[in-house]
Parts: sequence; structure tokens; C-alpha cells
Amino acid sequence: MTAQLTTGWREKGIRSVWLAAALVAASSVVFILGYLILTSLPIFFETGFAGFFFSTNWNPTGSTPSFGIAALLIDTLLVTFGAMLFAVPLGLTAAVFLAYLAPQKLRDIVKPAIELLAGIPSVVYGFFGMIVLCSFLQQTLDMPSGFSWLAASILLGIMALPTIVSVSEDALFAVPKDYNEASLGLGATRWQTISRVLVPAAASGISAAVILGMGRAIGETMAVMMVAGNAAVIPSPIWDVLSPVRTLTATLGIELAEVASGSMHYYALFGVAAVLLAITLGVNLISVWITKRIKTGRPLVSMPAAARRILIICGMLIAFTAGIVIFGIGPTLLAAALLAGYFLLRDRVSHKVAERAAFGVIYAGTALVVVTLIIILADIFIHGLPAISWEFLTTAPRDLGREGGIFPAIVGTLQLVGGAILLALPVGIGAAVYLNEYSADTFLTRLLRTGNDLLAGTPSIVFGVFGFAFLVIFLGWGVCLLAGMICLALMILPTIIKTTEEALRSVSPSLREASFGLGATRWQTIKNVVLPSAAPGILTGTILSIGRAAGETAPIMFTAVVFSKRFISPDLFEPVMSLPFHLYVLSTSVPGAQTQQYGTAVVLICLVLLIYLGAILLRTHFRNKLT
Amino acid sequence: MTPILSTRNLNLSYGAKQVLYDIDLPFEEKSVTALIGPSGCGKSTLLRCMNRMNDLIADCKVTGEILYRGEEIMKSDPVLLRRKIGMVFQRPNPFPKSIYDNIAYGPRAHGTKDAKTLDNIVENSLKGAVLWDEVKDRLHESALGLSGGQQQRLCIARTLAVNPDVILMDEPCSALDPIATTKIENLIMDLKKKYTVIIVTHNMQQAARISDTTGFMYLGKLIETGTTGTIFSNPKEELTERYITGRFG
Amino acid sequence: MVMKRKTMSIVGAAALLFAVFLVFASGCVSQGEEPATITIAGSTTVLPVAQIVADVYMDEHTTADIQISGGGSGVGVTAAKEGTADIGMLSRDLKSSEKEGSSLKEYVIGRDGIAVIAHPSNTVSDLTTAQIKDIYQGKITNWKEVGGKDLSIVLIGRDSASGTREFFTEFVLKKEDAAKTMQEYSSNGAVQKAVAQTPGAIGYVSLEYVDQTVKAFSISGVQATVDNVINGSYTINRPLLMITNGEPDGLAKKFLSFILSPEGQKIIADNGFVPVTV
Repeated sequence: MTAQLTTGWREKGIRSVWLAAALVAASSVVFILGYLILTSLPIFFETGFAGFFFSTNWNPTGSTPSFGIAALLIDTLLVTFGAMLFAVPLGLTAAVFLAYLAPQKLRDIVKPAIELLAGIPSVVYGFFGMIVLCSFLQQTLDMPSGFSWLAASILLGIMALPTIVSVSEDALFAVPKDYNEASLGLGATRWQTISRVLVPAAASGISAAVILGMGRAIGETMAVMMVAGNAAVIPSPIWDVLSPVRTLTATLGIELAEVASGSMHYYALFGVAAVLLAITLGVNLISVWITKRIKTGRPLVSMPAAARRILIICGMLIAFTAGIVIFGIGPTLLAAALLAGYFLLRDRVSHKVAERAAFGVIYAGTALVVVTLIIILADIFIHGLPAISWEFLTTAPRDLGREGGIFPAIVGTLQLVGGAILLALPVGIGAAVYLNEYSADTFLTRLLRTGNDLLAGTPSIVFGVFGFAFLVIFLGWGVCLLAGMICLALMILPTIIKTTEEALRSVSPSLREASFGLGATRWQTIKNVVLPSAAPGILTGTILSIGRAAGETAPIMFTAVVFSKRFISPDLFEPVMSLPFHLYVLSTSVPGAQTQQYGTAVVLICLVLLIYLGAILLRTHFRNKLT
Repeated sequence: MTPILSTRNLNLSYGAKQVLYDIDLPFEEKSVTALIGPSGCGKSTLLRCMNRMNDLIADCKVTGEILYRGEEIMKSDPVLLRRKIGMVFQRPNPFPKSIYDNIAYGPRAHGTKDAKTLDNIVENSLKGAVLWDEVKDRLHESALGLSGGQQQRLCIARTLAVNPDVILMDEPCSALDPIATTKIENLIMDLKKKYTVIIVTHNMQQAARISDTTGFMYLGKLIETGTTGTIFSNPKEELTERYITGRFG
Repeated sequence: MVMKRKTMSIVGAAALLFAVFLVFASGCVSQGEEPATITIAGSTTVLPVAQIVADVYMDEHTTADIQISGGGSGVGVTAAKEGTADIGMLSRDLKSSEKEGSSLKEYVIGRDGIAVIAHPSNTVSDLTTAQIKDIYQGKITNWKEVGGKDLSIVLIGRDSASGTREFFTEFVLKKEDAAKTMQEYSSNGAVQKAVAQTPGAIGYVSLEYVDQTVKAFSISGVQATVDNVINGSYTINRPLLMITNGEPDGLAKKFLSFILSPEGQKIIADNGFVPVTV
């Protein structure tokens, strides 16, 4: 079928264009990884593999420079682990609530609300963390300083929540209703059905959600930079959650701008970026493997029952110790007693009571998630709205941003995003069209899709590193708008490809058959039948990408922005101001600008949330039209 | 003999639409009752009233009485009720777990934890469903690896494991091939020695083969009920006769 | 379905046009002729006063567009060398390794003291440089060891790009490394905020970042004030530099002349620095 409809030079030419687009998308990640590794080679010759990976001494500008990333690696893992400890239980309870317990009307409100959490830019989370979370932790836990592993984990946990809730909820919702009926028909309670049948049946989707959340946590730069304290040490003892830590991403964010290209420090940072990218790629591949194994029904790791019991006991001991360190003996014993009580009594107590207890916990967990969102938004709006005035929105900043307004930043953000979309949309749609309409399920296609998935998992700071080294320095463009546009475009490309592919897939095959049956060529069919039908889905994906691009700081930090610029110009080779970067600099470097910081945060959130809200409404509108 | 299960003046509506009208139907213990009738006549809806599965549907209003061993089931705990009145569904729906865990699911949910007890229950249930010999060497493999007919017998075994009095079967063979169907029909004839079976079927020959009592429904009303032999050879109502002679439905 | 498609394409076309407009037509908003542009990047110590001077200059010369960034003295050196900025700002001397093989030209625009600061509730008010060195190297870990409250010391410092840190390390720490537990921040402002929020903290910032949210230690009896820097009694001070790659020309040259002029130097002095041409 494929060959027959793509005859003639014109058709073949068009097909090649889309193939090229798909190749661009898939090969970018390979190109970036290759470039990073190649650039970093000198450091491995200098320190050797062992020296680089296993030395805990990261002191590139010290009297005797040393480039050991072991401390950074371990800190990254610790922060991610802590984030998952918060996000997975909370996220699962909220997902169970949304999928099985919430009445439809409540679900229609709470689900988009949690998805909106995903829209809040990371620099805003960092800002909130710096100002509110760290002082709160310092006062309640009586720590010397709130900037710590704990703060970073809590903040990252909150940031990973929406991903985990959303994907898990989709998985739970998709479990066949048959299982629900079968279980209830056997006289099991609703809670027993949920906990023993439905959640396990959704295991592959849930583990995908957890891994996606983990990827988000590992790759996060801005929020971590602002709350983790950034000392390149391994906490000692290892469970001291109150110790400052520094992750791989924060190292890049802090040190990249100041390295002289060609210095050992420069190569070392590229080594860090390469390691970071390799870790996220590894996590991605592991998730694919796990999902496959769960789907085929095989156990993940075959383990005798005794070993499993030992593992569970070890896990409990670790959690117990962590609890004592963070919360003190009292609360930890209380929590342990409650848990023990639940497990020992649940079969002795009437099923109604057990169910009510379990549901109570779920309601509480979901409420916690929603309350967190409300607290963050409320804090920012209450403090930020007073700063908003016509002057604030339409004039340039003065006195380091303490006076005047943020107009150039607003324009700069729109310029960056507009350019990113102009670049990414054609390539993304082209790639998706090729993958979905022209190619069969060959090795090449699977390779292209994997490449795209890996690009999707790349941390945003890596795009910044690559853009800085390649576009700013190597090509000599300097810090400019175009470099920032390209980095943002690379970042949103995978999202556009994925959503476009989904939209194309949702177009019924019978429409295509009808067109072919009338003698149309493949391209004619795509152009006149498939694309128009898929347009709503493509539009939604585009809008989501716009929202994400508007809120990102890491890719543009070194490639496109300056702190202050009075005039706006369309010159692609000049730097611009941007809202997220402005917020970052204001909050970290400019004392006495509290109101302006909040004001910038408000404008940024409003911009991004409006975009996300638009996408969610569009999606609901079209979903309702189809069902 | 007082029937083990009976309905009195049973009416059911989904929102504004009434689906069952004044059903009075007794079910004798340790017998097989078949409910027949054309599509949409309400026989599945009636069946699902017996174990209150209709509770899962919003907007569903039931009036009248359903008595199980003399007690009004609308007023009792549905969870406990379903441990006494089990159900086998139209499409086999084993859980994505091992064969053993599927069968043990019900007893575990009701509090049985002892491994030996569970082993016995699993073996007896599988024997009761005439599946033991076929699966005894692969109890810990996934249930989804069984054939359609085997899966349905697994579902029956799963229902037997909770030790009910009554087994409701909603067109249990409609998704199966003729050989599997025969196996299930023989199983049902066997089951009625210990259990009360109510089976909904659109296959009249099947009803004639395996049931003791038959009820014919049409448009939500119970038109006629009686011994299977009588219904099929000498029905009282003209509507019944027209249905079983194939003139409609 | 046809109606919807028409609306879709109209919306799509409009959005596309809007995007193009944003990117390319925003020049309409700037006033009059194309401004001459320069970028300045580097030390966060120099940044505030450079911004003020730039604002004054731009008010007087409306065709000038001066764009400023921070990042630390290290960024200033790199940016000037790589050409990503026209002028680099430093709060320390250029290292010999930075000068060799390059054509960097340096201009001293002022001097600045470094204050060692703590939370206002800290009861200690005077420290010697030796004590500060021991504190930052982790040899003294509690404020009570220097006569204060029983409170753990939290070390706050700058990241490796910072000229302030570079100078502090050389002058106070005698080129030895600080303890690894020192938290690193990327600007004077960030250090000041962190110290202001943390009762047990100690940090170092440029003098002009000292305000009522933190307190500055006197060093061996000498208060940290601009006057004491001028009269030489407060010895923790360093030159503030602006550097260019090769001879500056155009707007960069004009700006540098301005900042070294009496008008420019007055702004430097008004903002808590020591002017070079007193």
C-alpha cells in the first residue's frame, strides 16, 4: 500500500522532506550526547575515569584543582530518592482518589487543578522554596539553615507530583471495568478491590509514571539551585537530610557561565553534562524495560519469598531511621504504631471500618496535594498583586529592577517562545507525519521513535550547555535570541512530535481508506483529510509546548539572556530579557526587591497558567465532541 | 418448600425509564432456573438485582422486595450478600494474576490466611469446576494464559471458592466455542447438586437442556414461568409460544 | 465539520501571523533610530553601580543601549575574552594566567571593601582575620568558641566564578581551601539574603551590600566602612575593574570614559565605593 501511493517524483520528494524532519528530531539527542562526550574527553585523560567518577573532591578553582564528581553524583541520587519518597505515596493516593473515588464533578475540578501544578515554572517553585519553604523548615525543625537536602527533596517531590498523578490516574482509569465487577461479585469490598486488583493491574502504567517523575527530578536545575545550599559534600552521616547538597544540574547552572573555554574546568563541566545525560537516558531505557516486563506478566525480579521479606524489613528500618532524624522519636513511633495497627487489625476489624480508614487516608493525601497547590499560588498572588500596575507592565526596569517595570522581559519571553514554535512546529509535525503516515514498523522507525523518547527525557540544562558551547562559543553567535530559540525548540520538539502522533493516530483509518479509494495520493490524503481532522490535537500539543517554553530558565540562561536591557529590538543576534530569568536574578541577587520579585512571579504564572488552561479547555472541548 | 430466593413486586428504573415491571419470581433451592427472552427484555437486569450489582449504576431505582432466606436483601450489607450469592459473567474476566491467586482471592478478601486452608480451597474449587486436572501443574502461572473455555471455568471455580449458596450466571457460554459450551453445561448439571443456579441465556436449546425451571421475559415483564418441560412443550401464554417457536426474537 | 475546519484554519493562520509579528516587528516599539548596543557582564559587586551609571548615561544619550548581566568576575573574564560581552566587570585583579596570551585591557574604576557579615541577632561583633580563617576552614564550628551564643556556625560563601570569593580566599584564607560544607551562592545579593535568614550564619559580601538586614563584623577593632577603606585602616579591600578585549571603541569607549569622569566617579562614591580619582 505504501509503495503504490507514493509514486512519482513529487510524492517521493515530499516523503523525503518528512523523513529528514524525523531524522533531525531523532539524531539531535545523539548529536548532543556525542558532542558532550567528545568535548569532555580531555578531562578523562587528565584525571582518569576512576579519578573523575570516584573522587569526592569537586574543587575546580581551588589552589590545587580537583575534578571528582562522586559527591555530586551521590547528592543527585539522594535528592531524587528523597523526592520520590514524598511524591510516590502522595501521588498514588491522589491518583486513586481521582480514578475511583471522586464523583465526576469533583474529578473535573481536581484533575485539571493538579495538571496546572505542572505548569508552574521551575524558577517559581525555586523562588517559593527559597522564601517560604526554607524558612519554614528552619524554624519548625530548628535547623541552622533551611537550605538542605530535605528542602530540595520536598520541592522536587511537589514538582514531580503532577506527572505521577496524571500518568497513574490514566493507567488506573484504563483498567477494564470487568475486574471491578468480578471482584465485587466475589464479595470483596471496594477498598479490597482497589488495593488488591485494580492498582496491581495498573502496575505498568504506574511504574512508568514513577520513572517519568524520577526523570523530572533528576533533570531539574533551577529549583534545586535555589534551595539545596550547593555545598559539594556527601552528607555525613549519609542520612543527614539537613545537610546542604549539590546536584549535577546545580553544578552546571552555577559554574558554566564562568569557565574559560579550553580550560580543564570547562572539560570537566562537559563531563558532568555527559554523565547527567547518560543517567537520564539510562533511566528512560530502564523504564521501557520495566513496562515491557510488567505487560507480559513476568515478575520484575524473581526472588524467593525469604529474600523479599528481608528486603521489606530493610526498607522499613531505613524509613524508621530517616523518620527519627527528621521528625524526632515521638512522631515516628506514632506513625509506626498506626501502620502496625492497620496491618495487624485489618482482618480482625469489620470490613467497613477498614475501608473507611483506608479511604480516609486517601482523602487526606489528595487534600494535601491540593492544599499545597493552593498555598503556593496564594502566597505568590497575595504578595505579588500589589506590584502589578500599568507602569510595571509597560516600562523597562530601573535601579536593578527595584523600580520601573518588566516590559522588556515580557516581550523577550514572547520573542523566545514565538521563535521556538516557528522552528519546532514544522519539524515536529513533519517528523510525526513521517512516523505515522509513511513508514511501516521497521527497525529504522523504532530507532527514530526511541531517539525521540530519549530527547524527551533530556534535562533542560543540557540543552543550555550544548547551546552555549556550540551556538554561542563555537559558532561565534554570542549570547543571542536565536541561540535561545533553537535551544527551546529542541526542548519542545519531542512533545510536539508525541502529541501530533497521537492526534494523527486518532484519525479513523476509514477516512484514509475512503480517500485512497477515490484515487488520491498519500500526500493529498494527509494534507486534505488527515491533518485537518488531527488539527485540534496538534493545537493542544502546541499550546502545551508554548506553556513549557515560556517558563523555562535553564536552556536560555547561558544562551540568550541579559539581566537588564532597556530597548526591545527584533535583532536575532542580540540578547533579550526574559521573565523566568528576571525572576531568578531578582530573587537571588537583588536585595530589597521583594515586591517586584513577587510581581514578576505573578505575571509569569498568569502567562503560563493561562496558556495551560487554554490547552486543557481545548482538550476537554474536543474530547466531549468526540464522545 | 420455601424458595431460597424470591422476588415480590420487583420494579426497576434507570432514571425515568422503567425496565422491570412487577416481577414475582421464586427460585427453588438446589435447582437450575433459566431466564429466557429476546434482547433487551431485562433478564440480565433482573439477574443483577439478586446480588445487588445494579447498585453500581447511578440513577438506578429499585422498589419491591427480594428475599434471601427470608431476609430483605435491599436492607442487608451488599458485601456480605455477595459472599452468599456469587456471579459468573458473560465474558471470562480472570484477574491478571496466577491461577492460584485468582481462586484464593475471594477467601483471602474474607479473611482466610492460612496457607494450607487456601491450598485445599483452591484444589476443591478447581475440582468442582472440572479444571483441576488441566491446571494442577501450573497453578502459579498467569491465568491469562488459559483458553477462553478454561478461563470461564476458572471464573466458576473462583466463585465456588467463596462457598456461596446461589450462583448467578449471565450468559456464561455466549463467548465460548461449542466444545467449551458443552463442558460448562455438564458442569452446571453437576453444580445443582450443591448449589442453586440461576442462568440467563439467549440460547433456548441450552435452557431446555439444563434447567429445571424456566422463566420467559418480554419487555421487562415476566410473561410465564414453570417447569422447563412444560414451558417448551405446552406453554400457557401465546407470547411464550411465539418466542419458542422462533416467530420473533 | 466544514465550518469547524474553516474556523480552525483562520485561527491557525492568525496565530502564525501573530508569532511572526512578535518576533520581527517588535522593533517598532523602540524609539527613533537604531540604538548603538554594548553588553557588559561579570562581577555582581560591580553590577549595581554599573547599572546606575548606565542608566544615567542612557538617559543623557538616548541612542545608547547598554545591556548588563551578572554571573561573577570569572564570567566577566570569559565573556570579554570570548567576545560574548563588550566589557567585563571584575571585583579582583586579573590573574597572570588570564593575562598571558590575551590582549585584555584593564581599567580600575574604584575600590571596594569586603564585609564579613552575620545575622543581626548574633552577639559577636568583632573578629580577627585569623579567627575568620579558622571559622571558614571548619576549625571553629560554634559561635560560643568566639564568645557568642551556643549556636552552630553555618558557612555561607560564593561560587567559584566570584571575584569576591577569589579575593577573600587569597587575603583571608591565605590561599587555602574553605571547608567543604560551605554553602555556595552565585551573587552578593544571594549571600546577603541567606545570611539575613539564618541566625547562625557567617558570610562575606561587598561593602555596599551591607544593610540593616545583616550586621558586619569589625575586624580587629576596625569598623567596615567606606571611610576606613579610604584611610587604609580596613585592609580587606580590592580594586574594581572593567576590562575589554583589545582597545575599546565606539560606545564601549565612551562608556568607559564616562565612568572614569568626575560625574561617573561621583556616582561610584555615592554608592558606597571608593572612587579612584578622589
